[in-house]
Amino acid sequence: MKKRWLLLASAFGALSMAALAQNKVQIEFWSWYLSPKFDPYLLGVIGEFQKANPNIEVKLVDKQDTMERDLQAAIALGKSPDVVNLWQDATAAAAQNNLLAPINDLTPMNQLQAQFWNNTLGMFIVDGKNYGYPWYGWTDQGVMAYNSEVLKKAGITKVPTTIGELLTASKLIKQRTGSYGWLPPVKDPNGASFLGQFYLEGLPLFANGKAAFNSGKHVALLQKFIDLMKGDFIPQDLLRKEAFQLNNEYYSQGKSAFIVGGAQALVRVKDANKDIYSKTKVVPAPLGAGGVQTGGSMSLVIPKASKNQKEAALFAMFMTNNKAQVQFAKLAGIVPTTKGAENDPDLKAANPNDALDVATSLVSGTGRFITPGWNPPKNTDAVYKNFNDNIEAAFLGAKTARQALSDAVAFWNANAK
Amino acid sequence: MKPKAATIFTAYLLLAPALVLMLVFTFYPVLYGAYLGFTKYTAANLGSNTPPTWIGLENFRTVLSDELFRIGLVNSLKYLIIVPILQIASLAVAVLVNKQLPGMAFFRAAYYIPVITSISLAAVMWDWVFTREGLLNWLLEFFKIIDPSGSFGWLLNPNTALWAIMLVTFWRGFGYYMVLYLGGLQSIPSELEEAALLDGANAWQRFWKITVPLMRPTILLCSLLSSLAAIRVLEEILVFTNGGPLNSTYTVLMYVYQKSFGLDFDYGVASAAGLLLAVVGFVLSYINFRITREDPPKREAKA
Repeated sequence: MKKRWLLLASAFGALSMAALAQNKVQIEFWSWYLSPKFDPYLLGVIGEFQKANPNIEVKLVDKQDTMERDLQAAIALGKSPDVVNLWQDATAAAAQNNLLAPINDLTPMNQLQAQFWNNTLGMFIVDGKNYGYPWYGWTDQGVMAYNSEVLKKAGITKVPTTIGELLTASKLIKQRTGSYGWLPPVKDPNGASFLGQFYLEGLPLFANGKAAFNSGKHVALLQKFIDLMKGDFIPQDLLRKEAFQLNNEYYSQGKSAFIVGGAQALVRVKDANKDIYSKTKVVPAPLGAGGVQTGGSMSLVIPKASKNQKEAALFAMFMTNNKAQVQFAKLAGIVPTTKGAENDPDLKAANPNDALDVATSLVSGTGRFITPGWNPPKNTDAVYKNFNDNIEAAFLGAKTARQALSDAVAFWNANAK
Repeated sequence: MKPKAATIFTAYLLLAPALVLMLVFTFYPVLYGAYLGFTKYTAANLGSNTPPTWIGLENFRTVLSDELFRIGLVNSLKYLIIVPILQIASLAVAVLVNKQLPGMAFFRAAYYIPVITSISLAAVMWDWVFTREGLLNWLLEFFKIIDPSGSFGWLLNPNTALWAIMLVTFWRGFGYYMVLYLGGLQSIPSELEEAALLDGANAWQRFWKITVPLMRPTILLCSLLSSLAAIRVLEEILVFTNGGPLNSTYTVLMYVYQKSFGLDFDYGVASAAGLLLAVVGFVLSYINFRITREDPPKREAKA
């Protein structure tokens, strides 16, 4: 008799387990340009999350070039993903277009503030509401890696500590070795790089809410870079390709001496050229007269059309938590946007001779300094395109530096929203 | 005799699968896209789930008053220069590789390789050709056409960038049109050629009097395809210059692309620009038909 009850009970148990399994909530997570290199990492974190939340199942999809288009298409088709990896401009655009759920409705503000630095949370505020969980970040300056052999050949004994010194050293290196020194971003396709140069030198970009980057000092700085390009101390290809990509390419081929940026640049050098990597030394990045850095971070957002927003919020908090980001920093040299990473013992350099180790530990605590430098206008496409067209015209000699900047300011003030 | 009803029914039945697919994947998107050109439709509509709102010709006014669109249109039309060059070259080479000589199969295959090469790979290769230290400058210096101090990056000079990209289009399209022409050539009966030979026609005369007239349909097809491809060029621009330097390679499709898939997500304006480009395409097709149309035979008896 007892046996029969037991049997019945276990049958019930099995049934309810099966029912539970069927009730599992499946959420879809779109990462951006991380597959296949970081699949093991992402799946690892997802695995831990699923263990902690057995009733949620996460499906990982990596999107690349077509991310924003695919997201809109998926939402229009009623098949919205639940957690999506976007970046600052894209988050702002999607929020303005009413595609995203405000995350303060899903995760209490005190929890957000406990997990992330305020400056990183602030990057994803649109019209007073938070729309993105800050994920992995970077600083545009961060560290400077240099090819010690090239510096030796050029007879440079003092490693530059300011941008001014870096440009002077770059000139010497080009004259003495034929290699380039540093490849500064002047016109990246997806931003307004030269605004960054102004910002680093402490030159104001706006006055009374109006664009104002056309003073004599701004003109002089632009002219300085133009002259460097004219003398071929920085390559002309900077007008056509992204500086990050070009720096990697040149440095890995031994055709340039410095990389300024996050530690993630070194991951690629390590893969591409072991020999040069072994000659690479790392120091804190030289800063401009402003003494500031620029940087940014990725975001995880939750589309308004997601049917599982509660679970999505849980997962987004988990994916972006300090432990997961510290792990990611060790793998990829990113800057965690979380509080606590700066003191994490895991991020102290284990091997002082390994460039990547040193770089990672140098930048790991800089999350609280990440700032884009200025707030982009809502219609970045048109405004940045005009700005970059003007910068390009100045570099190619179609306009004077003064003319180019005053045209850019005029357009900005007439058109920026 | 009229075909039987059953025959007609069978014909349509056999056509149905293709027609349905075209309806769903071609006609509907084209018509809907055209409709969007007259509406306000942006990413915000997706967010709030609201349908496009009809605004008449507003988008066309926006597009036509946009200087970037005008720059794009001029560059797209400039791009048409490649069409006659590409067609003449590929027809000429098709005639050559059509000869029954040893090794011709190799050349036919070799010329076709660029067609199946992906654009990203081609971009890396052509980058090496066009940079300041690249192959093109090296060649020009070797033959003393320019001196080393005058070398420059071809994709960074507003006077040369568009031409450099046209060269890539030429390289990519050449093998494709050659194969089409080859097909056309092989359908010309050899008797005609032999008869002309007996009549004492030389190679040039045979080419103009026999090959070209019989190849008219193929020439029409190829030049039509090629001119439509030219005004719609986008891939090459995206991988090489993104429209720069100084917008010298900014084409209409670049404009459409940036309006729809940049940060603007303004599908209405993008569709309107696309429609205007389609009108240009129609005009071009018409011109192509006119130029390559068969002249009515002149058989008036001469007294």
